[in-house]
Amino acid sequence: MKKRLYIELENCIGCRSCLAACTQCGGHEQRNRNYVYDVNPHVSRQTMPLMCLHCENPACARSCPAQAIQIHETGAVLSALVEKCIGCQNCTIACPYGIPKFDEEENLMYKCDLCIDRTKDGIPPMCASVCPSNTLQWLTEEEIERKQQQYDLDNGKWVTSMPYLEGATNVKVNLPGILQGTEKLF
Amino acid sequence: MQRDKFFREIENVRHPNEKLIKTHCSYCGMQCGMNLRVNTMTNKIIGVEPRYDWPVTVGKMCPKGVTAYQQTNHKDRILRPLIRDDASLKGTKEGFREASWEEAYDLIAKKFTEMQATYGKDTLSVFSGVSMTNEKCYLTGKFARVALGTRYIDYNGRFCMSSAAGGFLRSFGVDRGSTLPWTDIHETDCLFIAGSNTAECHPTSMFRVWHVQERGGYIIVVDPRETPVARRADLHLDLKPGTDLALANGILHLLIENGYADENFIHEHTNGFEETKELVKEFTPEYTSLLTGVAPEKIIKAAEIYGKAPNAVVMFARGIEQQHKGVDNVSAYTNMALVTGKIGRPKSGVATFTGQGNGQGGREHGQKSDLLPGYRKLTNPKHVEEVSKVWGIKPEEMPKPGVSAYEMFELMNDKTIRGLYLLCSNPAVSAPNLNVVRKALKSLDFMVCADFYLSESAEFADVILPSVTWSEDEGTVTNLEGRIIKINKAQEPIGESKPDWQMQVELAERLGRGKYFSHLQTAKDVADEFRFASKGGYADYYGATWDKIDKQDGVFWPCKDENDKGTPHMFLDKKFYHPDGKAKICALPYRPPAEEPCKEYPLRLTTGRVVYHYLSGNQTRRIQFLKDMCPEPYVEVHPETAAKYEMVHDERVRLYTRRGESIYKVKITEAIRKDTVFVPYHFGHEASINLLTIAALDPMSRMPEFKACAAQMQKLEPKKVL
Ligand code: SF4
Ligand code: SF4
Ligand code: SF4
Repeated sequence: MKKRLYIELENCIGCRSCLAACTQCGGHEQRNRNYVYDVNPHVSRQTMPLMCLHCENPACARSCPAQAIQIHETGAVLSALVEKCIGCQNCTIACPYGIPKFDEEENLMYKCDLCIDRTKDGIPPMCASVCPSNTLQWLTEEEIERKQQQYDLDNGKWVTSMPYLEGATNVKVNLPGILQGTEKLF
Repeated sequence: MQRDKFFREIENVRHPNEKLIKTHCSYCGMQCGMNLRVNTMTNKIIGVEPRYDWPVTVGKMCPKGVTAYQQTNHKDRILRPLIRDDASLKGTKEGFREASWEEAYDLIAKKFTEMQATYGKDTLSVFSGVSMTNEKCYLTGKFARVALGTRYIDYNGRFCMSSAAGGFLRSFGVDRGSTLPWTDIHETDCLFIAGSNTAECHPTSMFRVWHVQERGGYIIVVDPRETPVARRADLHLDLKPGTDLALANGILHLLIENGYADENFIHEHTNGFEETKELVKEFTPEYTSLLTGVAPEKIIKAAEIYGKAPNAVVMFARGIEQQHKGVDNVSAYTNMALVTGKIGRPKSGVATFTGQGNGQGGREHGQKSDLLPGYRKLTNPKHVEEVSKVWGIKPEEMPKPGVSAYEMFELMNDKTIRGLYLLCSNPAVSAPNLNVVRKALKSLDFMVCADFYLSESAEFADVILPSVTWSEDEGTVTNLEGRIIKINKAQEPIGESKPDWQMQVELAERLGRGKYFSHLQTAKDVADEFRFASKGGYADYYGATWDKIDKQDGVFWPCKDENDKGTPHMFLDKKFYHPDGKAKICALPYRPPAEEPCKEYPLRLTTGRVVYHYLSGNQTRRIQFLKDMCPEPYVEVHPETAAKYEMVHDERVRLYTRRGESIYKVKITEAIRKDTVFVPYHFGHEASINLLTIAALDPMSRMPEFKACAAQMQKLEPKKVL
């Protein structure tokens, strides 16, 4: 049963546990690979994670002159291969969200590989395992389908998968505002 | 047991040469399940893996939990006993030399014996904490009373849970922090959360909290700040710090007035309704609004939602409890559940978010100045007799009740107390009015501190004994639900460090009290004696064997015998623990905070936690990730207030009260009242906000009013000319 990372931005409490946990995945060498933003820090406590969305046709990989960014059979867009990466940082610039990070000392890009050590065996990635607010979840296609029906935000379309952004993504995102459509119990 | 919709069967990742030790987090009352990863070649803890099969938290952890494993083999660990010969260096990190356990024990025994011979038994004191196992908490009480024979023992729960305890005892006749298991929380229809920054202090409750809204239920949050949970709440009651009692009375008045009272429940199962009804009449929405600063419409709406909700849970935390009327606040919010009958059934009830890992268990078994194991009372001769029998002493030998945590420091300053054995706490950061507390610690003739890092309080010690972290010992703790759970040992103690229970047994032997302690050779020995000592008390742990805890995913107390499965839901039979079986609805007249703003000190200062740090920060400030995320304290100021003071974001300013001052960076945010400023309390030395807080104590719980005092700010840098 294929599972995907699903992000419900409205839930984020800004604890950055996802980042702390990222370092715990084998092969991540204690470096965290994503971002959590304070949306408007002088106004409210709203935060949101900015994760690699594992694009189906990833700009990062397309932009890489050395073919260092491989796509795993699960769809995960992997971190740069150490032997191939030339440290040009094209990927960071090409990615619409600036996701790939750069190790100055090693002259090497590193990015989220969706905890491939875990997800290749169907085990949730570290971020979605620990996220205390269920902002990050690891769901089956059917569960995601249900979410999509529950929060019919944008004519049934996932906003991050719209063509004017970066095309279809393996990670599904639910933008803030999910509560607007919720019917109250009483 | 209690596998709910969030539970998933998930295999853990297993790396070669690694084993997983299942246990729980070392920090807050959530006690999230976790697996510690241990390298089987070096036998050292090297990381963490989620514990998906723990039914309360299903693998989730906050960043403190994720990085908790880094405490064990941290470079700052104290590996051998330390002695400082030059007392003039007290209050600094300087002058300690390594010593053998022999030398340290000899010195402590000699000093303690001499001092007690000269000044009497009660010249010594024990100050303890509840971030450790039930077994350790239990033995610490016995150590003070039987090995040292002093009446002066108290613990940091006085700064944490004592008001909740006092309020529950008065309302229900029993103090179990939650009347229902956490696996009920997401299924209720209304969460009324007062004075809890849940998203930062108990983050792994949040997936359940949000789920209430996802189902169409309501979240009502009472807080002077728009915390992350308040941001998304259906209703945010942004009250002035220290005015909860008025708000609770105001809502109760509306519940009664608008027909939400459950007459039958009130009649059958409670006392005190008529009197309370009379008292709250005065608290009309307008009058309540005047006292609390919350708009009348919001108060009306809150009462309507809570009143209408088929099921509702009233939850609260330190925000309402750390006030000089904390006990009254607890009983007043509890009144809402009692008057509407929303208690004593699944998905409805009352709960406090326990602060420390073992804040619940640690307060039940005799570290409190007036309590004995099993929640027995020192003032009750029958209770004293029962515990004396277990301990093998004569009831006459049992010391009398002492005084509360903060009051012990006052007794140090007047030399009634001259010696201190401190463990599992860092009062030089966490106590209020720190100038008085630090002076008291400095004035001691002799102080011992057991800790695994050199805390700000250890800087005042003559002898430091290296204790172990939670991962190097085993035992039980009781989480915020009242569920007894098992902490497992993942690694041997590093260096020469020892568990606290072992130090106390060995010290008792040096003090000539070995016959009461020497049979306790393992954590399990202490556990067995402890279960036996709690037997017959109302916090009865006798049936909560380690085996049962493992099989059942924890055991909720009371659990009286082998066949008792424990008590996840309290009061299902509608029997409360007062002698007549009824709960008490309390009539509680409003009183303002001890110190109200004035011309000189026009601001309200309130304090609290951030998600990255735990208590005094002695542990979390040493963890790189947490330190990077929040390296220093700051003062949160509303932009309009900042403009009035001509202050800008990130500017350093002087914040001061009648008791002390400190310098903080300004953090500008609209998520706070204009009349209020907030500073997190996890920081030491000159950065401690507790230099400024007030030691106005609750008359019942002796809880200081950390959450409200009057303050003023001043610019340090000259105004920028543009
Ligand atoms: S762990 Fe979850 S709630 Fe915390 S910052 Fe990351 S996405 Fe947000
Ligand atoms: S989000 Fe950025 S880094 Fe991730 S796959 Fe897409 S383009 Fe690449
Ligand atoms: S600090 Fe509390 S919420 Fe965070 S992981 Fe530990 S027990 Fe869980």
